[in-house]
Amino acid sequence: MAKEKKNDEYKVQYSEPVGMLAAQSVGEPGTQMILRSFHFAGIESAIATSGLPRIVELVDAKKKPSTPLSTIYLEGKAAKDLDEAEKVAKKISEVKMNTLIRRTAENFSKGTIKFMLNRQELESQQMTPRQVADKLGKLMKLDSSVEEYTIIVSMHTKNLKDIRSTRVRITRSVISGVEGAGKAIVQRDKNAGDFYIISAGSNIAGIIEIDGVDKTRIYTNDVFAMYGLFGIEAARNVLARELKLTLDEQKISVDYRHLLLIADAMTASGSIKGVGRHGLSGEKSSVFARAAYEETVKHLINAAAFGEVDPMRGVTENILVGKQIPVGTGSVKLAIKKEDMAKIKPK
Amino acid sequence: MFMAKEEEPRSYIYLNGRILGHVKDPEQYVSEIRAARRKGLISGEVNIAYAKSLNAVNINTDKGRIRKPYIIIENRQPKLTTEMVEKLKKKEIDFNWLLRNGILEYLDAEEEENALVAFSDEEITEKTTHMEIDVASIFGFTVNTSPFPEHNNIARHAMLANFTKQAEGLYASNFNLRFDSRAYLLFYPQAPIVTTAAYDGVNIKHHPSGQNFVVALSTYYGYNMADAIVINKAAVDRGLGRSVFYKTYVDEERRYPGGQKDKFKLPPPTAEGYMGEHVYSKLGDDGIIEPELHIEEGEALIGKIAPPRFLEENIGAGGLEEKMRDDSSVLKPGEAGDVDSVVFTESTGATKIVKVRIRALRVPEKGDKFASRHGQKGVIAMVVPPEDMPFTQDGIVPDLLLNPHSIPTRLTFGHLLEELAGKAGAVNGNIINGTAFAEKGSTRISDYGKILEEHGFDRSGEETLYDGITGRPFRAKVFTGVVYYNRLYHMVSNKMQVRSRGKVQILTHQPTEGKARQGALRFGEMERDALIGYGASLLLKERLLDQSDKASVLICKECGDIGYYDRIKRVAICPLCGSNSFAEVEISYAFKILLDEIKSLHIMPGVKLNV
Repeated sequence: MAKEKKNDEYKVQYSEPVGMLAAQSVGEPGTQMILRSFHFAGIESAIATSGLPRIVELVDAKKKPSTPLSTIYLEGKAAKDLDEAEKVAKKISEVKMNTLIRRTAENFSKGTIKFMLNRQELESQQMTPRQVADKLGKLMKLDSSVEEYTIIVSMHTKNLKDIRSTRVRITRSVISGVEGAGKAIVQRDKNAGDFYIISAGSNIAGIIEIDGVDKTRIYTNDVFAMYGLFGIEAARNVLARELKLTLDEQKISVDYRHLLLIADAMTASGSIKGVGRHGLSGEKSSVFARAAYEETVKHLINAAAFGEVDPMRGVTENILVGKQIPVGTGSVKLAIKKEDMAKIKPK
Repeated sequence: MFMAKEEEPRSYIYLNGRILGHVKDPEQYVSEIRAARRKGLISGEVNIAYAKSLNAVNINTDKGRIRKPYIIIENRQPKLTTEMVEKLKKKEIDFNWLLRNGILEYLDAEEEENALVAFSDEEITEKTTHMEIDVASIFGFTVNTSPFPEHNNIARHAMLANFTKQAEGLYASNFNLRFDSRAYLLFYPQAPIVTTAAYDGVNIKHHPSGQNFVVALSTYYGYNMADAIVINKAAVDRGLGRSVFYKTYVDEERRYPGGQKDKFKLPPPTAEGYMGEHVYSKLGDDGIIEPELHIEEGEALIGKIAPPRFLEENIGAGGLEEKMRDDSSVLKPGEAGDVDSVVFTESTGATKIVKVRIRALRVPEKGDKFASRHGQKGVIAMVVPPEDMPFTQDGIVPDLLLNPHSIPTRLTFGHLLEELAGKAGAVNGNIINGTAFAEKGSTRISDYGKILEEHGFDRSGEETLYDGITGRPFRAKVFTGVVYYNRLYHMVSNKMQVRSRGKVQILTHQPTEGKARQGALRFGEMERDALIGYGASLLLKERLLDQSDKASVLICKECGDIGYYDRIKRVAICPLCGSNSFAEVEISYAFKILLDEIKSLHIMPGVKLNV
């Protein structure tokens, strides 16, 4: 009972301008945020963008975050055993050909490409040149021979263009791991003692296929990746959560419900929309509200072409013409018409 | 295939940024050119530097480089000898002689990178190439007007440099003959007790821009929090910080194409834009104000009539004079003063010019700005009568109370040092040298303390102060001394402005902006947001419509276009459909402009009316 009463107290009143309050509640502390993101000592790839740039990234609904990061929880043996966890991490960790190569040389007269491999890098990846060559053969269907730490790819053509493009394709190819998963590192949960993996990529759709990965707990800070795999509700939760994490990191306390409202507004249509010209602001129902924001003439001309009528229900358009805004005290109206007032006879 | 031969490494030479050639041994090349310059074989304005990191020799001879003279050192020996200094004093030789004879040379920023400069003889080592003529010259002139700048935070020097330029003083001794558009003049400028070499160097001790204030580092009932200062009314009444503000109004009898011209005269009441008799009441017969008359805002200084802006057809009836428009110069809002001087003169185009100089007293008051020579600025928060000020055992009442909190956070220890030195100088009647690096700092404090002790003061500069209100001594001793303060030209009386109702802009019908136009304060976007967030819709409408650009327009009930009222036919007409049925609607004038602008895009907006 007491709990319900408390809940009621915090309920929003009818016609409360919640959007404006959310905007102000995030915007004001945002002015205090440090523009520069902190730098941590440690794994270079595990540094996520933070602070104002991250907030902007989320609110603008950028397709790819500038620093994608995935948290991959493990199940079964892998969760408890470091060696098993490392094996899973190795399956995930993305290794591109160009990181293994020390030097390349094309021979246009013979139609061969030489790849001198970096021995140290290869050893740290626990791979032999033969394995690399086999993988290349599988990926590209190419003939190759191995001489110590050199792979020689023989082409059946001497076409300069083909040789060059093949070389570029090979250097870009993924030799092991999941494409787009980035570097994966095993971490240990301080409380549960379980092992989990952090990767500097957001291809969770690919990662989830690997055995030993807990499919129910996989998480990434890439809103669109989560949306693609788990749907709009997940995307909404990730949005709100990421906003909260970013603000918490700078020790800025904003009520979570403001963030939820922003996430709701961005996802309400069923897809993720940014706040701004191409998202929420550009899709307001009022012509004047849109024209007042950006690209004034474009909106006016389109409105004219389609014979649009502004229903005058929003705030911006009513301020523009000088009417009382339909918010707060302006949302109440007389229920009886002026003409009908005359008909009422005092008793 | 052609293969380039392995060559010896070479350095490129750039003359004023353009490549000139290359050289095998750059260091020797550079030193040869320098030697030639010192001998006078090439101009002393040539600077050469070897940039090792770029492997480039840069020779600069162009304009716009900052250069500074140094004493040349050869074989650990400065080339400037004591005999030369003696000769210099006797004026047997001059500075240029030293330059010509390779004793001194000018280095630019680039060549300085190759130099190792010693501050003093003791610092000279094998690698030293130059020596400073005076260590204080590492600062500029403005910073050198500050005493003990080596004891201050460098960020304060930047502020000091700005404040020094804003200080009132005796800016020119012929101020009485000058008609500066704005000028400030301090009544009793004083040379500082704690002076620096810069005051001698450019002779500013004869036209100083400040006064020596007796300063106590004490709070005063919270009235000097956060850079506010409390000032003694008795001191102000005796002329402390008192200054005069001059402003010159200029007007000209302009000639216009078509043979018409302006005329200085008392505007006749028939003139267009006549402002009423009271405005012109102080003008003389010639239409110009008389000297030493007091004048208030809105009163005319120079009466002038000008031809009408647009030529009308039937000139003739009533004469040209009655068609003339009033173009008198009126004292701007918020200003007042006495007419100091009136001057008639002529422009190069042989037109008459009148200059009227207004003089207004500026007694220090709440809101006026002061600053010491340490980047410590403050604004007067209260002018306290002397009986309420704290006083010392000797009955000395400080001129200014500075909050002690303003010292440690700003790291301006020079301020404290000046206060102590100023006190020592004041008690024994000596001028104290505060030039940067002039003396080793450690002994100074005890030296000044000794002087103070000799004259019966505490050696620390602290004194027991008595509260002027209760008469009781303060529990803590208060550091009291003499600090040179500048009065800065930012004064409330020149900035204050109020408005309740007033002018509106012609285009938007919204209130004007800015002090010069008697403007209102903008109720901006963020203020708007605050009211929306609070839900105060009627208050918002009042700010944005009723108090701004409310307009009543006629909206055609047939087509939704804006109509007008024809006063001759006494009917409202819609210009689009000719209808006569209208609704009077209150909208913002800005919306009316928006509709007009939309029409200019060839889009026909219509207003649909409910009811």
